Parts: sequence; C-alpha cells; structure tokens
Amino acid sequence: MKPLLSIKGLHVRVAGREVLKGIDLELMPGEVHAIMGPNGSGKSTLSQVLSGRDTYEVTKGEVLFDGKDLLSMQPEERAHAGVFMAFQYPVEIPGVGNLHFLRTALNARRRTEGKEELDAMDFLQLAREKSKLVQLDQAFMQRSVNEGFSGGEKKRNEIFQMAVLEPKLAILDETDSGLDIDALRIVSGGINALRSAERSMLVITHYQRLLEYVVPDKVSVLANGRIVSTGGKELALELEKKGYAWLGQGAGGKEARP
Amino acid sequence: MTDVGLQHYLDLAERFQAERAAGAPAWLRAFRQEGIAQLARQGFPTSKLEDWKYTNVSPISGQSFSPVRTVHEAGVEAAVARLALPGTGPLLVFVDGWYVRELSRLEGLPAGLTVRSLREALQDGEPLEALVGSRARADASAFTALNAALLEEGAVVRVAPGTVCPEPVQFLFLSRGDTHVALASPRVVVRAGDNSELTLVESYVGAAPGVSFTNAVTEVVLGTGARVTHLKLQAESETAFHIGGLHAELGRDSRFASHIISLGGALARNEVHSVFGAEGGECTLQGLYVGHGTQHLDNWTNLDHAHPRCSSRELYKGVLDDKARGTFHGKVLVRPDAQQTDSRQSNRNLLLSEAAMADARPQLEILADDVKCAHGATVGRLDEQALFYLRSRGISRAEAESLLTHAFAKEVVGAVPLASLRDQVEALLARKLPGAKEGRA
Repeated sequence: MKPLLSIKGLHVRVAGREVLKGIDLELMPGEVHAIMGPNGSGKSTLSQVLSGRDTYEVTKGEVLFDGKDLLSMQPEERAHAGVFMAFQYPVEIPGVGNLHFLRTALNARRRTEGKEELDAMDFLQLAREKSKLVQLDQAFMQRSVNEGFSGGEKKRNEIFQMAVLEPKLAILDETDSGLDIDALRIVSGGINALRSAERSMLVITHYQRLLEYVVPDKVSVLANGRIVSTGGKELALELEKKGYAWLGQGAGGKEARP
Repeated sequence: MTDVGLQHYLDLAERFQAERAAGAPAWLRAFRQEGIAQLARQGFPTSKLEDWKYTNVSPISGQSFSPVRTVHEAGVEAAVARLALPGTGPLLVFVDGWYVRELSRLEGLPAGLTVRSLREALQDGEPLEALVGSRARADASAFTALNAALLEEGAVVRVAPGTVCPEPVQFLFLSRGDTHVALASPRVVVRAGDNSELTLVESYVGAAPGVSFTNAVTEVVLGTGARVTHLKLQAESETAFHIGGLHAELGRDSRFASHIISLGGALARNEVHSVFGAEGGECTLQGLYVGHGTQHLDNWTNLDHAHPRCSSRELYKGVLDDKARGTFHGKVLVRPDAQQTDSRQSNRNLLLSEAAMADARPQLEILADDVKCAHGATVGRLDEQALFYLRSRGISRAEAESLLTHAFAKEVVGAVPLASLRDQVEALLARKLPGAKEGRA
C-alpha cells in the first residue's frame, strides 16, 4: 500500500527563522498519527504548511499527497484534493452564514469532481444529518461563521465541517485546546465517528488528554523542528508521565508538562 | 476656471428667473433671487474649504450643465417598470428633473397624505413659503443656492397628524443619458405632522449612460412623535454627477432614519444635515458607498444635537476598488444645553485594491458634560485570516473575496427597512462587486 501523505526532508522558515529542520513522516490510508511536542516545537507550523498558509517559506524538502506535489497547490486545490485542517483558532466571519459558507465550499469541490452542485434543500438535509455527530444545534448553522461561538462550539463546528467535506486527510491542529471535558468528549466522539479505512488523520496536540479519546495508531514527538521519537500509543502515556524533558537535550521546549 | 463655470450658472439662473417672473408670487421670486445672490457670493467650493477638502467639483463647475426639457421615450418606461417598487403606493417619476405625470401614480392616497408635484403646486399658487427652504437655506452651499435659484420641480409631501402611511412614497429620478449636460434640480419638501408615520424612497438612476448633473435638495420636518424613514438609492451612470442634500429637523420625541446607498456617479456627494429641534428625538444615519473605476463618492453628514435627551446612531461603510475614492466627513455637534445626549458614530472602509482610497474624518464637538458619545473610523483590507479559512475549505480566492465583501456591505444593506428596495440594492451589488456570484449569506 502507498502512503497517503509523504513528507520528506521538510525545512521551513518563518520570518527568517528555521522552524522545521528536516521532517520525515509517512501516513498510510486510514492511519491516525499523533504529533506531540512542546510549545514552539513546530507543530502548528507543520499543520499550516500542509494546509497552504503562505506566511511560511519552504526552503527544502517535499510533500506528496496521493502522489501529487502538495506544496505547489493553492489552499483551495488542497481542499479539493481532500485535505482538511481543523483550525486551532477557527476564524469568525461576521455576515457570512455558516450554512451558506459550507455549501459554497462543498459545491466548489463537487464542481472540480464533475459532480452536480447541491441545492439549498439537499444541502440542508445533509447538514442536519452531519451536525448530529457533534450535537451542533440548528441555530448555530444559521448564524455567521463562528461569530460569537464559544471555544467548544467553534471546535464542534470544525468537526462538523469535516463531516460534511469528507476529506481523505484531516489535520487536527490542537483541537483539544480550550475544551472542557464535556466538549472534549463530544468533539472526540465526532472525530472517532469519522475514522475510516479511507481517511487518515494527523492529530497535533500538546497534551496526551485528547489521545485518551482519539486513540492513535502512531505517535511522533516533535521537538526543535525535528521528529525525535516515534512509537505506538504508549509513547504518549510515557510523555505524560515523564514530560518532554525526558526526551533529552534538544527536545526541551518552553514547558515540559501541562 | 471656476469663474467661467460660475458665470454660466449665474446667467442660467438669471434667465430662468426672468422667464418665470410673470405670475410668480413675490416670495418665490425672492427665494430664487436669494439663491442667485448666494451662488454669486460663495462661488463653487474649492478644496480649501474644510467641508470640501477631499472633493474637487471643477468637473461640475467647469461644464455647462443646463436644464433640458425632454420628451420621454420607450427606454424611460422600461426603466420605470424595472425600478418602481411593488405595491400601489404613490410614485412620482422625474425625467432629467422634469415631473412626468403620465408615468406617475398619485391616485388612491390614504386620507391624511397629500403628495403633489412642486411645479403644479406652484402653478396653483399654493402658499409654500413656509415649507420651501425652511431647512435647506441657500447659504448652506453653492449647490443648495443653485437649487434654490432654479426652484421649480420636485414634490410636496404632507402627512396630517396621526396619519400612518401604509406604503412608501417613491420618487424615481431618471437621467436619460442621451441628453448631454442635462441639469436636474429637484426639491422635495416633506412635512410630517405630529405622530404621523411615513417612508420615503428616492431613487436616482441613469436610464442610459451619459453625462448629467443632478443637484437635489430634500427637506423633511418632523412633528412631535413623528416617524420618518428616508431611503435613497443613488445609482446613476458612472459618467454622471450627483450632489444631494438631505435636510431634516426632528420634533420632540420624533424618529428619523436615513439610509443612503451610493453606487453611481463619476462624482457623487451625499450630504445629510440633521438637527434635533426639540428634546427626545432619535436619529439613525446609515450609508453604504461602493466605488470602482475612478468614481469619487463623498459622504458628508452633520448631526446637530441642539436639545437634551436625543440619541443618534450613525454607520457609514465604504467599499472601494480600482482607483475609486470614498470620503466620509461626519460632524457631530453636541451643544451646551444638550445634556444626556447619546451619540455613536462609526465609519468603516474596505479597500479592495492598492490604488483605492478612503478618507475617514469623524468630527465630534462636545460642549455639554453629561453625554455619552463614541465614534470610530477604520480603513482596511480584506482579512487575510478569513480569506485563508474560506480557501482552506475549497472556496476559490475570488469567491472568498466576494463572500467577505458582501458580508461587509451586508450590515448596511440588511438594515434597509424595506425589503423590495433591499432586493434592488442586492441585485445591483451582485453586479457591481468583484467576482460576485453567490456572495450572500
């Protein structure tokens, strides 16, 4: 089987400073791979580079998605190809209705696939179905994108969007941050319901907490822009016990433990 | 340069006065004469004047615009059919500033509402002395003076105390376009009696592209407890010139709302002069100006808190693309006696190109001490984070820009309290805003 995502020797600079210093990572179809690391290790940079934010400069290396050069694609082209990022800080967009936004997004992708666009009624039915996954109220779907949503509602909205867009690769960027335990359960429940043999996930997190609910196939530890350790789900538990400092010099971030 | 232009307009006004002197009552002759005198005294404004700092009117003063008596053609009727709001309410159609009775609809008005063409009212010798010019004085500006000097066309609207008008009164001002350098000087005078309710719609539309100059004045006086909503759609051709002055005086506990959508014109200036004439009034001023190409859209407002316990809410938003320029000059004056004034003013501008420009100039002058006043102004571009968020979901850059631009405009468009006009505005915006395809939320 070929990997869905293949990152080779990726070097990335942000504002003149090298943040990723040679990342190698492969993600097989259906695999859930957690990336853990202390603050400032480069986790969020990795997710942003994969989704196409242009404030980062790739200086070396390549990323293949489904065999295609991901880095040469525009953000919308990546979405059409099946990449989805759940934002750490979902953006509030006053005046743009949540449902209208999501239908526009889904139809943009359907057009590239040569499929017929969904009309408002068909889409509403689909949205209702998918919103149940994260118990997102109808009222939220009618409101402006993320406007006035609580932290938990924003994260549920991200997973709702993922459920509608059905990506091949979901990058979950600190999806657990800012969630209380109830919201974490709902959000994880949604993520787990979306796990499938055709969908890979890159779960980026600082804490082990999320991984108790979304159990990964693999765990890699990112520190100072490099992957310093890769193992099974037990690696996360070990990190939780011993802290990032345990990984030795060069791995230590600004903080070792929650 | 300006002098040559000014002389043209003075000659024009003198001829106009002379031709109409016979049979005109003394007050009307005096009114026109005062207009001529003020025009001669002030001359056209230059950018040296604070109130005209950003707007150069030499394209108007340097051309020989003159009143043109037109015959209306098929194109005009099609435009009326397209622009008349649904319903059976009063409709007054003007072509190049001339009232066209055949295209208008004034029958079946509710009891208590009178709507007349100004020309017909003057011909009938109606005593309009106390109404015309009560708010818009000829010394306000050269353009107000010019309008006074050429006073003839327009409308008189009277609402008797306690009358609630169920349907809006619509004015359709069409510029025909093929008649070059046509000057239209309409004046609408409105008297809303105590506790009456009225919605007015003024639509200024080019029936075809062409060079015309509309110099309009509207005066609204609200009695105690009256509620008047004034809606203006300025969508003339982008080679046209438009200067519009809306003057309102609010009676005790009355409510006045003005919503101005400014889309057309090579050069357009919309002024609102609003004064609280007694305690307890509420005034809402909203505006949206959307410019592209080399359009220059000027918005000038003056809110005079002359009495205590009045509140005002002002929101103007601009969307500017290409080399367009938008200006907002918003004065709020809180006079010494106007305690417990509650005033908020906001101006926000969205620039869609490198060369587009916005001048935001809020001016607060507060002379009372027990007041709540806030104001703010911003000039910015589309939010890159929001654009990226939309694109990351598969929406193209162009479509994302369109979504965000429509969302920006929506705050003002959505607040227009008349669905049929809102629909017209949305349709016009859908054509005008860049990449606009299905940009509404």
